[in-house]
Amino acid sequence: MIQHLLHVSHVSKHFGGNVAVSDVSFSVEEKQIFGLIGPNGAGKTTLFNCITGFYPATSGEVIFDTKKINTLRPDQVCKLGMARTWQRVKPLGSLTVLENVMVGAFSVTNSTKEAEAIAQEQLKVVRLSDYTTKSAGSLPIGLKKKLELARVLATRPKMLLLDEICGGLNHTETDTILDIIRGIRKKGATIIFIEHDMKAVTSICDQIVVLNSGEKLAEGTPGEITTNPDVIAAYLGGGHHA
Amino acid sequence: MKQIAFIAVLAAIAIALPLVIGESPYFIGILISLLMMAALSSAWNILGGYAGQYSFGHAAYFGAGAYTTLILLTLYNLNPLLCMAMGIVVASIIALITGSIVFRLRGHYFGLASIAVAEVVRLSVLNFEFTGGAQGILLSDVVLWDLDLNSKIPFYYGMLLVLAVTLAITAYLRKSKTGYYLQAIREDQDAASSLGINISFYKNKALLISAALTSVLGSLYGLYIRFIDTSAVLDLRLSIEIILTAIIGGVGTLWGPVVGALLLVPLAEVLRSNVLGDILIKAGLVSETSGVGMFLKDNLAHAHVLVYGIITVLCILYLPKGVLGLFRRKK
Repeated sequence: MIQHLLHVSHVSKHFGGNVAVSDVSFSVEEKQIFGLIGPNGAGKTTLFNCITGFYPATSGEVIFDTKKINTLRPDQVCKLGMARTWQRVKPLGSLTVLENVMVGAFSVTNSTKEAEAIAQEQLKVVRLSDYTTKSAGSLPIGLKKKLELARVLATRPKMLLLDEICGGLNHTETDTILDIIRGIRKKGATIIFIEHDMKAVTSICDQIVVLNSGEKLAEGTPGEITTNPDVIAAYLGGGHHA
Repeated sequence: MKQIAFIAVLAAIAIALPLVIGESPYFIGILISLLMMAALSSAWNILGGYAGQYSFGHAAYFGAGAYTTLILLTLYNLNPLLCMAMGIVVASIIALITGSIVFRLRGHYFGLASIAVAEVVRLSVLNFEFTGGAQGILLSDVVLWDLDLNSKIPFYYGMLLVLAVTLAITAYLRKSKTGYYLQAIREDQDAASSLGINISFYKNKALLISAALTSVLGSLYGLYIRFIDTSAVLDLRLSIEIILTAIIGGVGTLWGPVVGALLLVPLAEVLRSNVLGDILIKAGLVSETSGVGMFLKDNLAHAHVLVYGIITVLCILYLPKGVLGLFRRKK
C-alpha cells in the first residue's frame, strides 16, 4: 500500500486582491523526491510558506503525517518532522558553521555535547567538515547552501522542503548537491524540491507538479511533464526560460 | 585552564579589595557603583546582547525591585531577603506582561514598548500614594542577621555576589541550548523559527532572567542607599546608562559589560567630581577665572552623560564591537 506523508488539499493564498496560490492539491508519497516547478512568480515559495507555517493559508488544508498542520507555527511544524531551506540563504552570520548546525540539532536534543555530535555528523554528510570553525556569514554561496542543508538535516526531518537549493550554483556544485540529496533519500527522508533548473528536476524527481500563476498546471512523472504541451507553453511562452 | 586561573585571580582581587583600601567610604562607594553597573549591564546583555532584543526600559525592573523592597520593609518590616524575592515577583510580572504582548511583533517594537512600559511604571509610582509619590521612600533602619548595614562593606560583597551570579548564568547560558537559541533569534528570526525555535517563548525566557537579576540589583541598591525616588531608580537615564555600558564594553560578550563598567563608572566619577577641571587648573594650563576655567568648574561636572554620548558615538564609529571587539580575532 502506498503511504502518503503529505496531503495538500485545495490550498489557496490571497494577499489582499492578489491570488498567489489558487486551489492547489497534491499528495507526496513517503520516500519520494517530489518536484515543484514553475516560472517565476508561479507561487512555489508562497506554497512552501503555507505548508511550513510561515503564512496561514487563506483556505484549504495541509495534512502531514495524519496531522493537520496549516494552523501551526513554523517551529511546531519543524518539531513534527518537516524542515525547510530558504531560497535566499539565511545563515546565522556571527555563529560558526558548527554552531549553525547545532542550532538545528537542538530540536532533537537538549544536550550541547549531543548537539555537537549530531552537527559534526551532518556536516560530514554535506561535505563541510573542513569549515566547522569558520563564521557562517563569511562562506561563499555554494557552501552556504550546503550549510542550509546540514542545518535542516540536523533536525532529523521526515520530510525536507528544499527551496531552490541549487539556485546560483555552477554545474559542479549542483551535481554535488544532487548527489547529497540522493544520499539523503536513501536514508529514508521524503523530499519536496522547488527548482528552476529543469535538468536538475527531471534528473532527480519521481513526481512533479507544475505551477503557473498560482494554479496547478500539470502533475506527472518527469517524462510526462517534459512532453506536456501546456507545460512547454508555460515555460517557453511565459518568457522565463528555465 | 588559563581562563579558570584568570577568573580566580580576578575574584581574589575583588574579594580582597575592601581589605586593602580599608574603610574609605568614598572609594567603596565608587566600587559599589562599578559592580552594580557591571551587573546591571550584564543582566541586560542576556536579553539585548544574546537575544538581540534591545530593552530601553530596564530601569522599570530595577525600580520594581527597589520600590517593592522598600515599601514592604517600611510597611511590614519583613526580612529584607523576602522583600527582595517579592521584588523579583513584581519585576517578573511586569516582564511577562510586556513580553507576552510585544514579542509577538517583529522589528523594533520591543525597544519602543520597553520605553513605554518603563514610563508607565515611573508615572504610576510618581502618582500613587503608597509609593511615596514625588517624595520617594526613606528607610530608617534595616536589619539582616548580624551584618552591620550602616557600613558599605556588606553591600560591596552583595553586589559582587550578584555580579558573579549574573556572569555565571551568562557563561552557562551561552554554551547551552537556550543560549544558542537566543543567538539564532538575534541573527535571523525566520531561520530560527524554521529550525524549531519557539521565538516568543525564548525571548520571554531571556527577558524574565534579565528582569529578575535587574530587580535583585534594584533591591540591593534600595537597601544600600535607603532613600529612593523615581528619578533615582526609575529614570530613563538609568536605562540608557545600562545600554551604553554594554555597547562600549562589547554587546553579546561575557566580559563586555564588565569592561564597559570599568571604563565608564570611574570616568563618570572623574567628570562628576570635576577632577579633570581641577587638574587642568592646578597645573596652570587653564586660569580659574578665565572663561574656559569657569566652564570647566561649572559645567563639566554636569556633562558626564554628554561625555558618555560622545564616547558611544566614537565607539559605534571605530569600535562597533565594543572595546572587547579589539581583542577578538576575526575568524
